[in-house]
Amino acid sequence: MSDDAISDYYSDEEMEYNYSDPEQDGDDADLENEEEEDYAQFTPAVLGKRPLPWEVEYESLEPDKLREIVNKDVEHVAGIFGVEPEIARALLRHYKWNKERLIEQYMDGPERVLAAAGLPAQSGLPSFSNSRSLAATKKPATKSKSFSCPICASTQPGESAMALPCGHTFCSECWEMYITSKIKDEGECDVRCMEEGCAIRIPTAWMKKLLDSHTYARYQELLLAAYVADNRNFEFCPFPSCDLTVMTPNFSPTPSALSTTVPTVHCGHGHTFCFGCGEQQDHRPLICAVVKMWLRKCADDSETANWIKSNTKECPKCVSTIEKNGGCNHMTCKKCKHEFCWVCMGPWTEHGTAWYNCNRYDEKAGVDARDAQSRSRASLERYLHYYNRYANHEQSARLDRELYAKTEKKMEEMQIASELTWIEVQFAKRAVDELVRCRTTLKWTYAMAFYLEKNNETIMFEDNQRDLERAVEELSELLESPIEPMTITELRSKMTNLTVYVQKRNEIMLNDTAQKYQDGAWIWNVSVPDF
Amino acid sequence: MLGGSKKTQSSTALRRLMTEYKQLTTHGAPDGMFTAGPISEDNFFEWEALIQGPEGTPFEGGVFLARLTFPTDYPLSPFKMKFDPAIFHPNIYPNGEVCISILHTPGDDPHMYELSSERWSPVQSIEKVVLSVISMLAEPNLESGANIDCCKLYRDDRSEYERRVKQMIREQLGITE
Repeated sequence: MSDDAISDYYSDEEMEYNYSDPEQDGDDADLENEEEEDYAQFTPAVLGKRPLPWEVEYESLEPDKLREIVNKDVEHVAGIFGVEPEIARALLRHYKWNKERLIEQYMDGPERVLAAAGLPAQSGLPSFSNSRSLAATKKPATKSKSFSCPICASTQPGESAMALPCGHTFCSECWEMYITSKIKDEGECDVRCMEEGCAIRIPTAWMKKLLDSHTYARYQELLLAAYVADNRNFEFCPFPSCDLTVMTPNFSPTPSALSTTVPTVHCGHGHTFCFGCGEQQDHRPLICAVVKMWLRKCADDSETANWIKSNTKECPKCVSTIEKNGGCNHMTCKKCKHEFCWVCMGPWTEHGTAWYNCNRYDEKAGVDARDAQSRSRASLERYLHYYNRYANHEQSARLDRELYAKTEKKMEEMQIASELTWIEVQFAKRAVDELVRCRTTLKWTYAMAFYLEKNNETIMFEDNQRDLERAVEELSELLESPIEPMTITELRSKMTNLTVYVQKRNEIMLNDTAQKYQDGAWIWNVSVPDF
Repeated sequence: MLGGSKKTQSSTALRRLMTEYKQLTTHGAPDGMFTAGPISEDNFFEWEALIQGPEGTPFEGGVFLARLTFPTDYPLSPFKMKFDPAIFHPNIYPNGEVCISILHTPGDDPHMYELSSERWSPVQSIEKVVLSVISMLAEPNLESGANIDCCKLYRDDRSEYERRVKQMIREQLGITE
């Protein structure tokens, strides 16, 4: 896998991505010529095996690799414009790494683009020839005489005076303090001249010269972070202290893309996360927007309110909440002493002689109150049905660490009990891997089912879910079963078969849901906002 | 020449304050709208400013006293400005402290709507800040109110606001009706 191939592939993708983005049309024609050479080298194999239809292609990048890709972009633009890479980098940063828009606008009027990006005019423009002068550290007029810095008001030898091409002169110590505070305190990598209202950008050469190594390293980090933040096809791994970046050349997480695709990716350190919402797990088959809704619902106390609604009543007079914990239906509110009937909620006095029972079921107010209560009770039960199953699979998947340890022990036992080699007992570990994966899928299918409108698609969905769940539980049970030397070969083939079956069921589940997202066949029972 | 010697923060601040004082006394403020200087030459970190109410505003005719307190890392950090006695204005806290974006460092933005270009930077100066405060007297910024009652009055009942301001000026100048 050569570096060139990846980068070319990437820039090629930038073009494709443009086609699908209505905001940025109109520059593809120019681009096709630019990229033709690259296109010839295009090799789909660079990203490994062909992905399954519901997966997105991605690649995990080491920080150095990412830096290389950035530099490639910079050099590409520098080559076209005939400017220093430094200038190209600043321009790209100003254009949020949208190469196509930059190229188009730069061709129209380089001076305007340069000024907007806070760069000095390049000599020899617009002929893209020998304009490689970066007049960054132009010395102010006071050279070699002493000068007084307007910030610290100290008189200093002329050498310490520094000015950008805009001519605003300050001493090197004040510049250093200013740039350091911008980078360290504000986390800003686009540092402009100190003078109020002056937009001239401070070149990297200055950073290198003025900053201590720690701050300079931070500056480099910020530059990379800005690249990843501006570029929709890149995302940092959200796991703590993981420094890898994931690139999805064919996929940009736009709201419309995320309403049909769940872009689950794995970084090179084995962390699984969603490229769209950053959720640190594989939440297929449920799309990001609904995952967010579900997690919020589970976290907030809307269900507490539901419990209160279905298990308590309010005093008809003072509306204090009352939970009936026993006794007869003749209630006396503790607060306002109002006497009422728990069954019909009417005043107790109307019950006349019919003490201790209520025969007034037909009264309208009572019927309404009972209906409302049974509705909220049904809604609570529905939620709990799905939540319990969701939570159960989550819990089981969380125990996977334990299961891995247990399985490893079991694999050792198997080796002792049979003639099998370590390689040959790997089937148990594969079974656990698959089990964990399928439990995660199952978990999200319950969250998904909660939000699905009941129709034929849902019935099929639930059938798939049931098949998968049954297979998963069977495999789970098999993993728990004791090892007998006699039956170990049988166990092995059974477990291997079941693992393959479970894997198949999971694929069917994911395939089916992904297909129906594409067809727009899923109907939610709530309105789903754009992610 | 001091070149080469490592400057300490407070000596930088002192040098800068002396330079600014010198400039203010030799050139004076534009249109003589204010005067400013250290309360005592022993302590350059406490200044006093006398500000004239801008013409054509309810503050016309008033003279306001403000205290400027400088941090030891001036000009990296901004100074504080407090009117004494306090004046009735939407952007001045009831204790007299001035709330203006040019006196906020880029890092702290309690309200999240100030542009970092409007904030304090070491190239600002006492003169620029006081001039900004004077224009703020003329045109309050209701988006970042410091005195909420005054903001409401300014928005809902402009003539009552103007009456209150004029009354305050008379009281501060000791003129009784």
